[in-house]
Order: sequence, then C-alpha cells, then structure tokens
Amino acid sequence: MPELILKPGTLKELWLLPPAPGGSRKYLAGGTDLVSGSNAGMDASQVWVDISDIKELKGIRETKNSLIIGSGVKISELSGSGLISRWLPALRSAIPHFASPSLRNMATIGGNAATASPCADGVCALCAERADVWLELGGKKRKIALQNFFSGPKKTVLRRDELITAFEVPKWKHAGVYLKLGPRAYFGIAKASVAVALELDGEKVRSASITLASVSPVPLMAVKTANYLKGRVLNYDNARTAAALVKTEVSPITDARSEAAYRREMSGVLLERALNSVILTGRMSQVAG
Amino acid sequence: MKKENARLKAVNGIFEICLGINGVKKSFSVKNTEFLLDALRRHGYKSVKKGCDTGDCGSCTVIFNGKPALACLIPAFTAHGSEITTIEGLGTVQNPHPLQEAFVEAGAVQCGFCIPGMILSSKHLLDANPEPSEEEIRKYLDGNLCRCTGYVKQIQAVRMAAKRIKNGEKRFRGKAS
Repeated sequence: MPELILKPGTLKELWLLPPAPGGSRKYLAGGTDLVSGSNAGMDASQVWVDISDIKELKGIRETKNSLIIGSGVKISELSGSGLISRWLPALRSAIPHFASPSLRNMATIGGNAATASPCADGVCALCAERADVWLELGGKKRKIALQNFFSGPKKTVLRRDELITAFEVPKWKHAGVYLKLGPRAYFGIAKASVAVALELDGEKVRSASITLASVSPVPLMAVKTANYLKGRVLNYDNARTAAALVKTEVSPITDARSEAAYRREMSGVLLERALNSVILTGRMSQVAG
Repeated sequence: MKKENARLKAVNGIFEICLGINGVKKSFSVKNTEFLLDALRRHGYKSVKKGCDTGDCGSCTVIFNGKPALACLIPAFTAHGSEITTIEGLGTVQNPHPLQEAFVEAGAVQCGFCIPGMILSSKHLLDANPEPSEEEIRKYLDGNLCRCTGYVKQIQAVRMAAKRIKNGEKRFRGKAS
C-alpha cells in the first residue's frame, strides 16, 4: 500500500505530476483488483494516482460512427446506458455476469482491461464488439485494437505510466450475446465464456466476431470460426460445425477452476448455444414484427 | 474539499481524512494500509461485518456515495470526502426501517452476520425499483452470501418490505423498546 496518493482532477493535471521515485506509479480507479492484489502483497508501489476524479475518463458518448466509453465508466453505469443497450448487445449481455452488483458499482471498464485477466467478462465482450482502446502518456495519444492490447495473462502493451483513457466501439448493426460457464449462475469466475457479434443479412451472416475468455492466455479472437460463418446461412447445422471448429482454436489450461479438456469441450457448447440463441431471437423478432 | 483532495500525503504512514457517515461529518486518522471496513469498525460502526476481506461475501456492504460498495476493498484514504451509510443510519430498534421490520418478521435473520449488508443492498434496490420481481431481488442480492437461512426468507422479506413501503405501512413506529 502506498505512502503517497495523488488525485488529479484532469488529464492535464495528471501529466504535470512528477514521476514516481524508483518505480512506476499505480493508477487507482475502482480498486477492486489493485486493492485486493496489493492486500495480497502483489503490489509494492509507493505512489498511487487516484484517477477516479479525472473528468475526461467519465461518461459514454456517441460520435457519428462510434461510441466512446470513458475508461473510468463503472460497470453498473454501462448497464444503465441507453447507448450501450442500443449498439452493443454482446457487452450488454455480459454485464449481469460481471461479478456482483456491489462490485459492479466499484469496478471500471478501464480497470477490467488493465488487469488483463484471461477470464475478464467486460473486455471479452468489447473485443467481440470490435473495440479499439485509446491510450495516453504525457498528453501523447495512441489507439490500438483492444484484441492487440493484451500480451499475456495479466500483461498488456501499456508503457510505464501510460493510461487507458477510453474505448472506441464502432456502431454497426448486429446481433450479439455473451454466455459464461462458471461454478454457479452468477457471481463466479468463468471456466469458459464466449462473446458473439453477428452482422446479419437476412438469414446470412455478413460478418462475425467471436471472442472467448478463460480458454487462452488472452481474450481469444476465434478468427477461423468467424471466417467459416461469414457468408453462410445462420442455422443449427452451421452452428454445430462452427462449434466443432472453435474447439480447435482455443488453447485452455488446467487450473484451480477447471480442466483443459472440459474447457475445450465447453467452448464449443457455449458457442453453439450462443449462435442458437441468435437464431431463436431472430425468429421471434420475425414473428413479432 | 475538492482542492484538498488533490494531494493526500501520509505523515508517518497516517492519512487524515474527512467523511460523512450517516449524515454526520467525521474525521478519521487512517493508516495507509488500512481499509474502510477496519476504519469504520475501529470507530464503532460494528454493523459493518468483516467476513472474507476479499470482496466475495458482501458482509461489509455500505452505501458509498449513493451505491452499495464493499468496504473491505476501499482503501480508507480514498473515502476522503465521501458519504457513507451504514445500517446504523437506516433505523433504530425503536424506529426501524420497513426492511428491518420485514427481515425480523419474515424470519430472515438467523446468526445475523450477513444481514446489515443484505439490508443495505436491498434498500438500494427498493430505492431504484420499488416493485422488484423475485428474479430481480435474487440477482440484486447475488453478492451478499448467507450461510444460515438458504436465500428464501430474505427474498420474502424484501417483497414484504416493498409492499409496505408502497402502501405507507409502518408497524413499529415510535414503539418503545
């Protein structure tokens, strides 16, 4: 735990702060990962910068072609947002699976990425939504695809003192869903999960993004499976073939939460269920409208 | 208070913080390694329970700046300038909150350890959604674990309280203990 807490109110103030002596500073947002990690002796930083007051990191706004989600947006704020409901169906469906209601009031979406846990629900869904992430260091900005932000379990491409400022997600018409298999229905850590975003043209898949969590060192973009679905009719048979294919793309491990073989099998099951649910929802909306 | 926030420096590992607890302004001296949960308990707010200390059980739930949050994961120094409600701020034995009445009447309290957190989560739910379905209550109390009663009576209690709040009923108003 730190000796010095700095609490800038703007990004300008942040970049005027002196460098931390003898090591990098730690950014404190929701605190749910940093604090519990520090408590367990996993962090020895002397200087923490509390970024919860930085106004540029807050809020969800819309541009002509994208949504900009501030990295300081809390998970519970995502669930209340009309913009998220309208444009990001996979992310919306991931929120109830994200920890517990009180943790959702604390944790931020930026922190979910920064922690870079292979099982993170929020960023898995955001990858399927084709999000980019905005990073800033000393006022210099750069944007990269979120899927390229992770370099390993708990590792990212963030440079020393670099800050995640926002996620930029394109607005595109698509169906989306997030399914998670944990030890219980809610408030569990995933054994495997899948986020699917499908751009449909009638019954045909125009384009697909499929991201899996907990079955590879970083959120896994199942590119082969997505390419298989592209241009095909979305039906139960093709969903089954896609499920078989995705099992060849994942690289799960055995750990405290599950076994590699089970995770591989469940990756297929979850994807098939996710695709089937899009088929059913599509049929129902046709009936309805 | 905003300006003071800009820089908090520990003197010999101690931060001086000001915060509002149940509507009363308080000043605490807290260690840089201390959590809000421990600071609150040290200052007499013993209703905030220390269960797992890792953000899993929900026993330490407080309303933090208007929303339920887990005091065991909040470094005490970051509570500088915040507003906190503990169950001491909700009702008294003489004049309980409808949720407190309902939890007693429904038999939702056995050992009682999880109840402060559970009632504070429920209060926030009912403030936002006065007529929640059973499913909504279950999902909302997801992060509040109970090892005694089995998650049936508490759900009934929240429904009972919701109905009474809606109808303006209050059973024990002003009753002497």
